[in-house]
Formats: sequence, structure tokens, C-alpha cells
Amino acid sequence: MSRWWDRYGFRTILAVVALTIALWVKQTQGALISEVYYFAVSPFQSQAQLTLEDRLTNARILELEQNVTELTQQNQQLKQLLNYSSSTQSTQIAAPIIGRSRDRWWNRVTLGKGRQDGVKKGDVVVGIGGVVGRITHVTPHTSKVLLISDNTSRVGAILSRNRQFGYIKGRGSSTVIMHFFEQATDIKPGDEIATSSLSKLFPPSLPLGKVKSANSKGTEIEVELSAPIDILEWVVIQPFESKFN
Amino acid sequence: MPRRKQRAFDLLEIANLLFVAASIAICTILMLADIPGMELLEVNPNWLLIWVVAWSLKRTVWHGAIAGLIMGCIYDGITLSYPSHIFSFMVVGILTSRLQAQKYLGEDFISVAFIVFFMTIASEVIYAWQYAQAHAFGLGEMLRKYRQMAIVSAIISSLWSPAFYYPMNLWQKRLRLLRKKRSSNLTYNL
Repeated sequence: MSRWWDRYGFRTILAVVALTIALWVKQTQGALISEVYYFAVSPFQSQAQLTLEDRLTNARILELEQNVTELTQQNQQLKQLLNYSSSTQSTQIAAPIIGRSRDRWWNRVTLGKGRQDGVKKGDVVVGIGGVVGRITHVTPHTSKVLLISDNTSRVGAILSRNRQFGYIKGRGSSTVIMHFFEQATDIKPGDEIATSSLSKLFPPSLPLGKVKSANSKGTEIEVELSAPIDILEWVVIQPFESKFN
Repeated sequence: MPRRKQRAFDLLEIANLLFVAASIAICTILMLADIPGMELLEVNPNWLLIWVVAWSLKRTVWHGAIAGLIMGCIYDGITLSYPSHIFSFMVVGILTSRLQAQKYLGEDFISVAFIVFFMTIASEVIYAWQYAQAHAFGLGEMLRKYRQMAIVSAIISSLWSPAFYYPMNLWQKRLRLLRKKRSSNLTYNL
């Protein structure tokens, strides 16, 4: 036994140490690596992007154009029946996208704002045009977003014009499939889709996209997401307390 | 031979350790960075997989398995880890070390690129099977969707693998030479 230890002892200890470090990286979802990457990449952020950050804090003006359709419909109904939170958000944080998912199986991005800027797990991420995803992990300076275009994401949605409820399912590209709870009849390409009040993970009345095409039976609707996720460089994080975590 | 044991922690071994740790750190940061020009159809090379192949090519099966396990854990930490990549990376490590490339294939860059190509495809297929099991998709549907991505990822990883393998190989050759010189010095002094 001692002969084996003489020959392989050092290597065994090294392997155990390396394995411990690797398991710790896996457990924290690479928090330290995210931080190091953030500091490695920060000198490459250009000055022009900082002026863009100022412009983006006023990005709600672009969203409100699509929200108007939603709000005029809601005003016709009795608001006491809809148990939704107010649509004006208190603090919004503009965040740059510093990394994309290396693994093509999952649609995630890494943002350059973290716990120190007030980001929490469960916050909603919105890009110019519509919802992008939600925050799943937070480190002091970075955070990770799971996009709504991911295969496993489901978001409660509503067709703004005729108030039909359903949910959208991501499929790894810029279009998603919408399923309605009841047979949908009156659907035209160009109809606007927004998050519904039935959604537990997203606040209601956020724009999602527009109907691209519908199959003949009206069961599967293809929706084009209005936020161009592939070319987005800046997003806005809205604080949100979800009812389920 | 007590004098031999005291020299176990000398500068050479520490330098080797630092080199290995630095190579892992560089691979990890490269995985996150989006360097323009290094990608093919928006797919970046899988540096951690290249590291596993470069490490296990000339080492025993145990080395390959442990390297796969460690790199799989790190890869899980960077991306979403459900299902885990550990199994596919361990299979790659074990297969590569079983290949005993120096006996049958030679060490030049073409054969390394070849090995990386097939190992990437193998790891993607294994991961597709795990993903399909975990999310109750059919394997056929998964493969149809991601077949193109798997092949593109294999091509770009195998094209960039010599860039990583060459410095590692150089260092290993230099290390072997220095070790031989050191042991010959010892025997001479004795």
C-alpha cells in the first residue's frame, strides 16, 4: 500500500483537489468565472455604448406604442376583476450583453450587471421591442438570463385584440409557437401578442411579438418575437417579484 | 531513497502544474469570449473538449476519465447543467486514451484534428440522447434539429484544435527532456 502511495500519492491528491475545484465551479454555476470574464472584457466596452445606455433608459417610449393597444382594451373591462400589478416600474437597470450561451442547446445570455446593481433572481429582462427572458443566476457583477426562445420556456400570453388566452413555447429560434386554451377563430397575421395576467413568471401586458402565420386549424400559431435577440447588445432589467420562484 | 523523495516537489513539477492550470483557465475564458473570426456560422470551438482530447491522447485511461470528469464539471458551471455534460466528456476522455494514438495514428496535427472531429460528434450525440431523455423529446427529432449544429461544431473545433495542441505538445516534449536531464544529472552525481 505504501509503495502505491509513493508512486501515485501526489497525483491522487492533485486529482482530488482539481475535482473539488471543478465541483465547486459546477455548484456555483461558474460565478467566479463570470466575474473574471466580466473584468477581462470590461476594457473592451466602447464609449459609444455608454451613450446608448442613456438612450435605452428611455426605451419604454418604444414599448408604449405597442402597449397602447393592450391598455385601450383593458380600459373597457372592470379592472377590479383583473388582479395584476401596476405597469409602471420603479427602477429599471440597463445592462449590456457580455456573453452568449456557448452551448447551442440552451438559449442564455450573460449580462454585465449583477447583485451590486440591484439585480435579483426572477427579474424580467426586456429588450427594445419586447420581452427577452428572465434572470436565473446572479453574481456580484454579472447575471444570467434564460431567454424565452429557449426550448423549455413557457410564457402565458394573450392576443391583445380579442383577449384570447394561451401560452407560447420557445423553440430555439426567433419565432415561437403559441397554443390557445380554447379553439381560436379570429387570428390574423400582424396581431399583437402580450404577456397575460395568468403568467406567474412575468408581469402582464408586456409585448411579446406579432403573429406571423397560423395553420389552417388555428391550433398552432407562429409568433415572431419583436425583440431581435440575436443582435441585441443592451437590455433593460425590470425588478419583478414572481408569485412562484 | 530519501534524497529522491525530497526532490519530488521541485520547480519543474510546480511549473508543470502552473502550466496545466493556466491552460484550463485560458480554455474556460476562451469558451465565454466571442472573438470575431473564430466562429463558423455563429458556433465557437469547444475549447474544453479540445483540452480533454489533447490531454488524454498520450495518457492512461484513468487520466482521460478524470480529465473528462473535471472538464465536464467546469462546462456545466459555465452553461446550464441539466442534463450534465460530465458523462459525454468522460466518454470522450476514455475513448481518446484508449485510442493509443501514438501507436496507431501518429502525433501530427491532421490526426489530432481528425480525432477531435469525431470526438465532438460523439459527445454531441451522447448529449442529444441525454437531452431527449430528460425532456421527453424523441431522439430522431432532436438529431434532425441539431445535426447541422453538431457537424458545424465538430468542424470548427477540429480546425482550431492544432492551435491548442501545438503549444501543449511543445511543453510536454520540453518537460520530458528536462526531466531526463535532471534524472541523468542525479545519477551522475550519485
